[in-house]
Amino acid sequence: MEYNIIQILLVGIVAFIAGIDQFNFLESLYQPIVVGPVVGAILGDLQTGLVVGGAYQLMTIGNMPVGGAQPPNAVIGGIMATVFAVTSNLEIEVALGLAVPFALIGQYAVTLIFTIMSPLMAKADQAAIKADGAAIAKLNYFAMGMLGLFFAIVCVLGLVGGSAVGNTLSNLSQEYTWFMNGLSAAGGMMRYVGFATLLRIMLSNDSWGIYFAGFAAATIIGSIDGLSGPCLILVAFIGVAIAINEFQTSIRIKSNLKIAGNGGEEDGI
Amino acid sequence: MASNQTQYKNLTPSNKLDKKTLNKMVWRSLFLQASFNYERMQAAGWLYAILPGLQKIHKDKDDLSTSMQHNLEFFNTHPFLVTFVMGIVLAMEEKKTEINSIRAVRVAAMGPLGGIGDALFWYTLVPITAGITANMAMDGSILGPILFLLIFNGVQFAVRYFLMYWSYDLGSKAIGVLTAHAKEFTRAATMLGVFIVGALTSNYGGTTIATTLENGDSPIVIQGILDGVLPKMIPLALTILLFWLMKKKGWTPVKCICLLLVIGIVGGFFKVFA
Repeated sequence: MEYNIIQILLVGIVAFIAGIDQFNFLESLYQPIVVGPVVGAILGDLQTGLVVGGAYQLMTIGNMPVGGAQPPNAVIGGIMATVFAVTSNLEIEVALGLAVPFALIGQYAVTLIFTIMSPLMAKADQAAIKADGAAIAKLNYFAMGMLGLFFAIVCVLGLVGGSAVGNTLSNLSQEYTWFMNGLSAAGGMMRYVGFATLLRIMLSNDSWGIYFAGFAAATIIGSIDGLSGPCLILVAFIGVAIAINEFQTSIRIKSNLKIAGNGGEEDGI
Repeated sequence: MASNQTQYKNLTPSNKLDKKTLNKMVWRSLFLQASFNYERMQAAGWLYAILPGLQKIHKDKDDLSTSMQHNLEFFNTHPFLVTFVMGIVLAMEEKKTEINSIRAVRVAAMGPLGGIGDALFWYTLVPITAGITANMAMDGSILGPILFLLIFNGVQFAVRYFLMYWSYDLGSKAIGVLTAHAKEFTRAATMLGVFIVGALTSNYGGTTIATTLENGDSPIVIQGILDGVLPKMIPLALTILLFWLMKKKGWTPVKCICLLLVIGIVGGFFKVFA
């Protein structure tokens, strides 16, 4: 089936918006249950869109982007499954299968953009030093635009080129699996830079023990089945107790010193 | 780079933020993850979201710069619950609380919310609403997607608005009491912050080694040996290494990121990482 330029453009726009919406804005427009019927309507078959969107939605329910992990991308997956189902009158299951390579490409795109944006944080630092709010806004818009554009390109390519493009893409990605794996391993490590930056400011020589205590508490609780989800809440309870105790103890010391009449300005630390 | 200032220049508390500004920030909070990245995660989106408030609070340009710099440090919380952290931080900024205190409270508040938000939204709200409405859609009803959007966003916006106003109020009240013991509060809050960063190191740290050594029928799994010594050893070691490189060797974050990229990609080539 051939599509006119307006339909192709509209699918591109849907992919652009959905690509951004998966992390921002309403964080619900991108769900297959919404994207499916919209793409279906654009291609002239709302019914198929509804059915595919619903089916893909049920598939992704167990596959949420929880805790920052990147599952095969449901946005591109949902759009492409609808495209294939409508275009080729394929069985829903087959269409869903054909969409998988595209979903993987989407996952790679996200990994790539999250990596590229890391060094760009230095630019944000420069803007903050100059108190330049407009530059911070621009940086955010730029990142969203990049993400949306990438998704639009992949989906338009898929719409025009069909499942052949999917095969090419997945072959290509298989060849560079080592590179993408390396990139996501590096991506997983970059948060340690964020932690180290915080520690550089917050950590004094006498609080290493507290740092290790937090590490230990989270490691213990996180390794217990069923507690890995609420782990940080439980850890926070312990931390708050320690902090309140510290706060009250030092206030008591301060007031005792005052009563004793030798309370200096520099006490406590 | 983060400035090492601990106090704002102008210590006079600013006026309370008006409703219009608070509402504007609720809207901006929708773009928390706009520039999400592996190093600081939502940091730049966070700054974008609270910026209207900061600009109202800090009339002094140097103070605004100081505030923007420390609000650009590592930040990650649940996107739907972020307004809770925003309210408290804004209340503290408004009272010109010591910067170390603001930082510590921000870090302490952001961590636990992740788990709560996932449980609330991804494990409860989405599976239930999407489950029901997906079946409606598969029966060919256009009501499916419409209902899904209405319910999900209704809850989302209610939560965002409520948390912003509630925590801003709560923060304003609590800080008045705490300023009497500002120094002690800073110290205790910083302890909590360091404790939470320790917890994040373990909880967010997922780097593991995939390499196994040939050993007849029972290959030696390196990660297994490491776990026997100390679980999550690699995240801990890397964090401390990076801390040392930045603090003692004066490395910039960008230089650290390049180092990790090299480690990651070389490791990827030799299939070192899981």
